Amino acid sequence: MTEIVLDNLGKSFGDFTALKDMNLTIAQGEFVALLGPSGCGKSTTMNMIAGMLEPSEGQIRFDGKPMNGMPMARRGVGFVFQNYAIFTHMTVRENLAYGLKAQGVSRAETQRRVGEIAQLLQLTDLLDRRAAGLSVNILQRLAIGRSAVVEPSIFLLDEPLSNVDAAFRAVMRQELKSLQRQFKQTMVYVTHDQLEAMTMADRIAVMDHGKLLQVGTPIEVYNHPADTFVARFIGAPGMNLLDGRITGGDSGPVVDLGAAGHSGPVTAPGTGPVIFGFRPEEVHPDPNGPIQMAITMVERIGARIILHLAEGPHVAKAVLDAETQVPDQGGMIRFSVPAASVRLFDAQTERAL
Amino acid sequence: MASISFRNVTKRFGDTLAVDDVSFDIRDNAFFCLFGPPLSGKSTILKLILGLEQPDAGEILIDGRPVTHIGPAKRNVAMVFQNLALFPHMSALDNVRFPLVERRMPKAEIAAKVSAVSEKLHIGHILHKPPAQLSGGERQRVAIARALVRDPAAYLMDDPISALDARLREQTRVELRRIQQELGKTLVYVTHDQEEAMSVADGMAVLRDGRICQTGTPEELYRSPNSTYVGGMLGAPAMNVVPITMASRLSVDAAPRGADQLGVRPENLRVGVGEAGTIADVEPMGAFTTLTVQAGDTTLRATLRGQPKYTVGQPVGLSVDPGRAHFFDEGGAALESARREEERT
Repeated sequence: MTEIVLDNLGKSFGDFTALKDMNLTIAQGEFVALLGPSGCGKSTTMNMIAGMLEPSEGQIRFDGKPMNGMPMARRGVGFVFQNYAIFTHMTVRENLAYGLKAQGVSRAETQRRVGEIAQLLQLTDLLDRRAAGLSVNILQRLAIGRSAVVEPSIFLLDEPLSNVDAAFRAVMRQELKSLQRQFKQTMVYVTHDQLEAMTMADRIAVMDHGKLLQVGTPIEVYNHPADTFVARFIGAPGMNLLDGRITGGDSGPVVDLGAAGHSGPVTAPGTGPVIFGFRPEEVHPDPNGPIQMAITMVERIGARIILHLAEGPHVAKAVLDAETQVPDQGGMIRFSVPAASVRLFDAQTERAL
Repeated sequence: MASISFRNVTKRFGDTLAVDDVSFDIRDNAFFCLFGPPLSGKSTILKLILGLEQPDAGEILIDGRPVTHIGPAKRNVAMVFQNLALFPHMSALDNVRFPLVERRMPKAEIAAKVSAVSEKLHIGHILHKPPAQLSGGERQRVAIARALVRDPAAYLMDDPISALDARLREQTRVELRRIQQELGKTLVYVTHDQEEAMSVADGMAVLRDGRICQTGTPEELYRSPNSTYVGGMLGAPAMNVVPITMASRLSVDAAPRGADQLGVRPENLRVGVGEAGTIADVEPMGAFTTLTVQAGDTTLRATLRGQPKYTVGQPVGLSVDPGRAHFFDEGGAALESARREEERT
């Protein structure tokens, strides 16, 4: 359990700025996800925490102690890579025990800890199997187990689930979360998958182009995105963003959406161009609704329906329960968005208003 | 234009039964998905349709005509390359022309066919560009054009977008469906992703160990799975399958005779006031919230719309949306619910 402070952290590779002005405090025992598309600086940040890269600017502190210049081996971090480096000629047990042996932990203690982690990760039946020939799913579990067993005070994971299949990803999300709750390490988790970040993290740090855009609990970031990038990136599908114009209506201001109608009453400062944001699940079909759009595609996916909508320059998506009666592809739908669910963004800066 | 039928087709590789007595019909112009876990026989079925593998038993029909002993070149079905890959050193035009040039077709005929397929896929204006200058969606259209330039009766894709990240997969599957709708040609599509299968397909087959478990529209399979296996394969989080002894705890009555297991989809499990279970985990996802509920020895998952407030340890009552309980026998086969039987008589 270690507190990590990133103080004005920056990293350049020649002319290329991979990260700048990163300020983030990760509390003891907290699970923080660094989330963003490729090239956003998340892996660079993690590699500097691990000690594999030296910062160009700023400072990293563990429990107040500066880490700049400190070699990786002395930082007390466990690191799980995307391409789990497993010793394939060893058994599962030998792989799990490897780090403990290197630390000179007693045989009895090693046995106890290996048994415990194997049970937690459902590897007990495989302990005496050779790693060569095990499935990708099992290898990933083993990689996590091998890092967790030495009980590092900081646990770093770089896209650990990107190579495993969808069904197993869901299982591993649950397991990683319970693993972290049990051991209470400080956990930093790099991912481009918003679902992983939403389901596991205490807080999410959303990054893009080497900059930290927003930090908050999954629900804070979901409900109150700081800008249009975060609004679009979080959620599946992401938030709908329609270019409009605030005008004074009969009953207060509305966002004029041209051919698609208008937003319905909003609380807005002033008039002029604005970006009108709403979540796909906040679309309420309503024959008297102020917004009208054409249905270009209907996706029926088990419990839900995703409608793909278009009108003039606008495109949007709606997520409805499978039971909802909706027009077919090619039809029109009228809907409203509750005023409390409307998010407005500045048309120029794209920051939340 | 092609319908494709399998009649009791079996294919062995050594001791492995890769495809086991499989029968199905794909209607003309369908977007048909073969869905199942790795090694369930999906890709072997594609190879059998293409003629790259010969069945050990059974018959394959294309448009009602037996093709079992006809070679791949004469079957008139085309495979779209894995990952929709294009030759990077060639222009889009040369990529599309490639299969025809390879067959030494006369130039005028090539030009006519390329122009016909380009028009259908709306790629005429980008044909001069190399793949690197095309967007992801454009590249897909070019890859599909290359497969369709010979004007095959049907085209096949083997897990074409599994390598993309989640966001891109969501966009791409919609694009693929749009293309298939515009083209109106039979597409046979292999995937191991249940959400992708349900999104794109108008007909699908769920496979397991070389056998077909169930065929139908995605909605039919989701609403009325014929087994715990199909019920569990479609939907995320997966259907809760619990011992029938849990029925009273979930306020489910009218279990049919022989019911051994009860299936409840997470979105059909209602959480209310009561003491049937306690909340073990709360996962707020924004648009919905997934609850894990511990009821005795049984763990259940419930998906609720929006962001309802629940806390770990809180006691809750449980029930199931009327008519939405699934019943299965000891072997996992679906039983008709007593209520549905009643409605029928």
